[in-house]
Amino acid sequence: MSILRNIFQAIKGGASQAGEAIVDSNLIRILEQDIRDDGNAINKAKQSLTNLKSTEINLKRKLESLSQDISDYEGKAVSLLESGNEALATETAERIAEIETDYNETKTEYDVLAKEVTDLNKLIKNRAKNLEKNKRELEKVKTVGELQKASASINNNLASTGSTANSVRDSLARVKEKQQKWKDRQKAGEWMEDESQSSDLDQKLADAGVSGSATSSASSVLERLRSKNTGS
Amino acid sequence: MENALSELAHSLNTTTTTEGTFFEAILTESGTIEVICSNNTEFPIQVVMTEKQILAVTYLFKTSEIQLDKVAELNIALLELSPLVPLSSTGMQGDHYILFGAMAISTDIKEIVHELEVQAENTIDVLEAIESLLN
Repeated sequence: MSILRNIFQAIKGGASQAGEAIVDSNLIRILEQDIRDDGNAINKAKQSLTNLKSTEINLKRKLESLSQDISDYEGKAVSLLESGNEALATETAERIAEIETDYNETKTEYDVLAKEVTDLNKLIKNRAKNLEKNKRELEKVKTVGELQKASASINNNLASTGSTANSVRDSLARVKEKQQKWKDRQKAGEWMEDESQSSDLDQKLADAGVSGSATSSASSVLERLRSKNTGS
Repeated sequence: MENALSELAHSLNTTTTTEGTFFEAILTESGTIEVICSNNTEFPIQVVMTEKQILAVTYLFKTSEIQLDKVAELNIALLELSPLVPLSSTGMQGDHYILFGAMAISTDIKEIVHELEVQAENTIDVLEAIESLLN
């Protein structure tokens, strides 16, 4: 039975409280054992593959060298035939036949090995697929456990604060109020910013000597009075 | 897993998002991280981890907080709204309605804080949408 279905049936049966073992523990043990088995099988197959690889390389090298020998001797046999040296040509042909036998035997060995490699790769792929599937299944079980922890944590909170203070409507009202306050504060901040920027402007104007009548000083007042005096 | 939890809690406590949201993260006795986001301090988020994923869960309300004759209507509303809510989904655990987000365990801290920040916002949005069906 799939884990999800197992969990659903447990929930339907009312086993949704934190701490309760929702998933059949046998099922978990089987999954964990399967995961271990797949992991071991994959490791073993990979090890075999590594061992086979060196044999494969050796056989391939041998095949290449044998095939090279065959074509060399064939070339020699042809020229011996052309020069009429029938006896040596026959001897060479016998040698070729020997090498060919060796080549065919090696080739058979190589083909068997190649099939073994293909099979091992197939096995690894299948086992890995199964492993991932089982891991995902187990992940669901673990998630149930983690969610139970989250639930326990929130229940502790509810217990410590008292449930009446925690009605969702009250919480929502409080959070909205906070948001409003934050927005108000932000507006206030913007207003302050504008204010300080305009006083910056006054300062700049004063610095540039174009402050107009906005700023006055004792010296400017005296200056004004003097000019009035001389004017009259 | 415990190491990963405390490491994440530490990162959360020292991170501020580009929108200015910051976090208070504590390790609870139950083995979760409780995260309070500055943009919604009323609905803490419980963060838990498995081998493959990080789950962020916000508890919205209990079944008993729904108007008696509105349960079916609310369930359908939440199912319909769920795909529209960015990054979070609605669900149920025991008698609690939850909002949750799931991230791959390899998610980096920048994405995690973004997800939590959005989930904190989503909580208010979802609750406002269905408020009229609650007690």
